[in-house]
Amino acid sequence: MTETIELALKTLEAQLNQPLETALEACARCGICAEACHYYRAEPKVEHIPAYRAEQLRNVYRYEHDFISRLFPVWTRAKKLDETTLANLTEIAFSQCTLCRRCTVNCPLGVDTPLMMRAIRAMATAAGTAPEILIMLADAAIEKGKDPSFYKEMFLEQIADMEKQLRDITGDENATIPVEKQGAKILYVPLAGAHTILPPAVVFNAAQEDWTLSIFEASNYGVFLADVNRAKQVAKRIVDEANRLGVEEIVISECGHAYACYRWDVPNWFAGQFDFKVRSLIEVLAGYISDGKIKVDPTAIPGSVTYHDSCNLARNGGLLEEPRYVLKSIVRDFREMTPNKAEALCCGGGGGIVALAEYAERRIAAGKPKADQIKSTGARTVVAACENCRLQIGDLNEHYNLNIHVTALTDLVVQAMRLPKPLPGMEAEHLFEGEQVEVPR
Amino acid sequence: MTETPKLTLDFKGLLCPMPVVKIAQAIKQVQVGELIEAIATDPGVMADIPAWARSTGHELVTLEKQDKIFKFVVKRLK
Ligand code: SF4
Ligand code: SF4
Repeated sequence: MTETIELALKTLEAQLNQPLETALEACARCGICAEACHYYRAEPKVEHIPAYRAEQLRNVYRYEHDFISRLFPVWTRAKKLDETTLANLTEIAFSQCTLCRRCTVNCPLGVDTPLMMRAIRAMATAAGTAPEILIMLADAAIEKGKDPSFYKEMFLEQIADMEKQLRDITGDENATIPVEKQGAKILYVPLAGAHTILPPAVVFNAAQEDWTLSIFEASNYGVFLADVNRAKQVAKRIVDEANRLGVEEIVISECGHAYACYRWDVPNWFAGQFDFKVRSLIEVLAGYISDGKIKVDPTAIPGSVTYHDSCNLARNGGLLEEPRYVLKSIVRDFREMTPNKAEALCCGGGGGIVALAEYAERRIAAGKPKADQIKSTGARTVVAACENCRLQIGDLNEHYNLNIHVTALTDLVVQAMRLPKPLPGMEAEHLFEGEQVEVPR
Repeated sequence: MTETPKLTLDFKGLLCPMPVVKIAQAIKQVQVGELIEAIATDPGVMADIPAWARSTGHELVTLEKQDKIFKFVVKRLK
């Protein structure tokens, strides 16, 4: 047995717990999960059936754990793990499953296929066959946590520039973007990039919130690798920061996997050191609107708008009504996709796949059902509260000529606040371009 | 004498993590010791590119902001 295979099998063994064992043992082979998966909907072939994917791991598991299978593998289709099988498993888990869990919620037995795909991702990471880009992105984030001083000065310069923009947009000379503010109530964790800092800063200032910006970003590529060790190191930067500053809660930017990670995993990983409430920025927006802490014009968005439920926020995170409440407070023509909420179709961009250029073609093909769904609403603006989804829907827009405008929820809220100046890229003539609507003002 | 970059790349409009993804792909196209220069518009590169260089063991030769553009040069070291 080569070292690679040994590492992969060791990782599988280490991960075996009751939920994974159940997933590996239970499947009625009814095929109901096929239609649940956007890959199968886009291209109905056997390789795209979730149960088929899971079966590839089951074959290996059977060989290792079933006495009869080891003696007579042909009888049970058991398979000894070798380099080719590992390469095949790796490809399945990283390019043909976005870990969206739609198959699980539609399976009569609740078989957790993504849990098995995660087990493969972990095996591949340990064995060195996982996509190196994801490893590199996770490692770069860990590096930032070790010694932020090497980029902090430049980061602060950026924030100072953004603060000028913020004052310009809001017309408020006192508007600020506090960084590392001791004792702030909220630690807001953005993604890298001004587009996830400036709009929330507008909102926090208007709500007169006691907040501070994190010097780290929320995304966690360790999660996509199913590498708990790396994922914990990435998350630790923010846990330490929150403890250091003594904040009450952590608010996560519009990002699906980061929200799910900080909401569900981090409190367990850091039990005893994690006494924070975790909310998504979406919940914060809904709260500010309902409490009247920010004023929005209910007629501000006259164009047609639809909302894409990110799998991690909706199905896995339970944020179903909050984004709709926000949108219905500002949009005149809101249109639902069908199906939606917990049953929403994945856009095809989850699971870290948008960062893997080698699988771009597959990703775009798997996004066809989402593109069709968007098209059938006829809406011209698509709101997605997750960066991965926005990137993917932007690509679907180009590829399938959807003629839409893709935006974040916060950006639309800022637009509805009717401030002296719009956010960059959110000018009314751009947002409602080609729509027969009466643009306010 | 200033070394001439082997590759010049344009990451304008790309958001995180794409500039890092692209530079990681590009670094394999040059020889050890050669340079790549790139421009980007996403301020995220100010933190991400230095972190990428440190964690992958390549050299970030320069990183500067010129108006709304971020310009950086990296050297392949291994
Ligand atoms: S729906 Fe569930 S039980 Fe049926 S084939 Fe798929 S995973 Fe197996
Ligand atoms: S988790 Fe999503 S992408 Fe993966 S097999 Fe299930 S439905 Fe398909």
